[in-house]
Amino acid sequence: MDQYLQLNGITKKYGDFTALAKVKLDIRKGEFVTFLGPSGSGKTTTLMIIAGFEKATAGDVLVEGRSLSGLAPHERNIGIVFQNYALFPHKTAVENVYFPLQMRGIKRTEGLGKAAEMLELVGLRGLGQRYPKELSGGQQQRVALARALVFEPSLLLLDEPLGALDKNLREQMQIEIKRIQRTLGVTTIFVTHDQSEAMSMSDRIVVFEKGEIQQAATPLEIYHRPRTRFVAGFIGESNLIPARITDAAGKAENPALGTCDFTPVETLSQGQDVTLLIRPEHIRLSRKPVEGRKNAAMQVETIVNYGDNALVIGRVGDLPMRVRVLGADVVIIQEGEECCISWLPEAVFVISR
Amino acid sequence: MRLVGIAVVIFIAAPLVIVVPMSFSDARSLQFPPPGYWLGYYQAYFTDVSWLRPTWNSIIIAAATTVLTMALVVPACFALVRHRFKGKSIADLMMLMPLAVPHIVIAVGYYSFLGDLRLVHTHLGVVLAHTCLSVPIAFLVLSANLKGFDRNLERAAQSLGASPVQTFLHVTLPILRPGLVISALFAFIQSFDETVVAIFISGRDAETLPRKMFDSIRQEADPVIAVISTLLFVAVLLAVIAPFAWRGIRSRFARTALPAPSPAGR
Repeated sequence: MDQYLQLNGITKKYGDFTALAKVKLDIRKGEFVTFLGPSGSGKTTTLMIIAGFEKATAGDVLVEGRSLSGLAPHERNIGIVFQNYALFPHKTAVENVYFPLQMRGIKRTEGLGKAAEMLELVGLRGLGQRYPKELSGGQQQRVALARALVFEPSLLLLDEPLGALDKNLREQMQIEIKRIQRTLGVTTIFVTHDQSEAMSMSDRIVVFEKGEIQQAATPLEIYHRPRTRFVAGFIGESNLIPARITDAAGKAENPALGTCDFTPVETLSQGQDVTLLIRPEHIRLSRKPVEGRKNAAMQVETIVNYGDNALVIGRVGDLPMRVRVLGADVVIIQEGEECCISWLPEAVFVISR
Repeated sequence: MRLVGIAVVIFIAAPLVIVVPMSFSDARSLQFPPPGYWLGYYQAYFTDVSWLRPTWNSIIIAAATTVLTMALVVPACFALVRHRFKGKSIADLMMLMPLAVPHIVIAVGYYSFLGDLRLVHTHLGVVLAHTCLSVPIAFLVLSANLKGFDRNLERAAQSLGASPVQTFLHVTLPILRPGLVISALFAFIQSFDETVVAIFISGRDAETLPRKMFDSIRQEADPVIAVISTLLFVAVLLAVIAPFAWRGIRSRFARTALPAPSPAGR
């Protein structure tokens, strides 16, 4: 893997508080990487250090092997889209997009022409003469994107850019940003706390928690092979079951569930305390036990119906369980009833951390 | 409720309604309703050196006060709004102090203080005193503006390649311009209006318009006062309307001034 952007052991301390602890990450040229994590996990701090607005206590940021530490923000050639867009209110859309070219000494006629082309690429043909306040949220977002891309930055940073948009517009912009990023092939870091946004847009997701990287992997790997309990709980819906390994070849025990078979991926030792992850959509609901699967009796407490699917929440003994079923299947049970849940050994994933 | 509102408006506007016709009156002293109309007192105002000199003094003093005030307030605002440092809350308080102290107390204080420095009865003395009174007003207006300023705009500018100086010139300054203009205007008006300190300090050489008006009304109730009041009223009215008119003209102009988008862009 060629390393285009390298974060080399970045640490940030505010007095005694450690906001970032030795963050290390390599990003390929043209890659779309998402920093995902709850607020205060250090993802935005990392972004601000890359941009040069914050100074790392230790560590270094390198682009193509060259350190950025000695450079002021305006010397770094990095495009940023801020959460509130930060469009200049006293300039029209096209003048906003022209601004980075103006700062690079490009003449007005030529620069405005290039800015107009960029506005067209983001789908704002003919709206260049409007002031930001005359544009909708989604349109302002596109202007901010055009402005951050028009000078061919070596890196594009997006700081929760979709946070202020409503759900439909947000999905539309996700597709749009992805399309523009592919067209231009610009290396992109996208910061968000929305996991579905991260899943749908990224080549790779980097999960942050308490100033540390928990896992950096493709969306599917993050979903199916979470490395830590935190990642498993943060991404998607999950049943996290405390258990103890009784057989390193594929058996674990939980007081409520009894013995559970699983397919081991990493080496485990007998007697080790682990967490079992079973995704709600991998559990089947039935009246009677099913042969060839692990079965358990669940007391149904709540059924949340979404139309095409439903979430069934209940308990096996004192262990809370969530099951996601297709909408048609939910008619067989009612709240307060007891039913049978079952899963295959392959559905059980062991998390040792 | 509506009647109360109308009554309040009438009460506030009445002095204006009375003073305007009085300025065209041909009576020998202030009198309402005027017995007849002429422009003689306008002529008197514009030809009489004893009125024109204080007017000129007032304009010079107010302009100098504005310049000095802004030179102090702009850096102070940036420091006090954007940075945290030891003694900041005391500095904040000191900036606003002159608002809390009665003008007459300030006037007496300056009279003796500037007297020691031999600055009483000079333009410089009045400018210094007025600056002290203008600073808190300009500071309040500008710091409110600066607090509402989104610093991400400056960060965005820097990420787009603007050096700190370019960022200030292309982004910070244009966006703060309305705030700067208004706070400068307040500083100017404060000085132009100020009477108490002027009476104590300005003396004969640096006599300001309000002081001259005060003297004049005490001695003879000269209808020229009504002329000046009317002129000031018109000036203020123009100052209020001008920015709106300017904005309307400018936004139309700015749009047409841009080069037409290339055919490929359409």
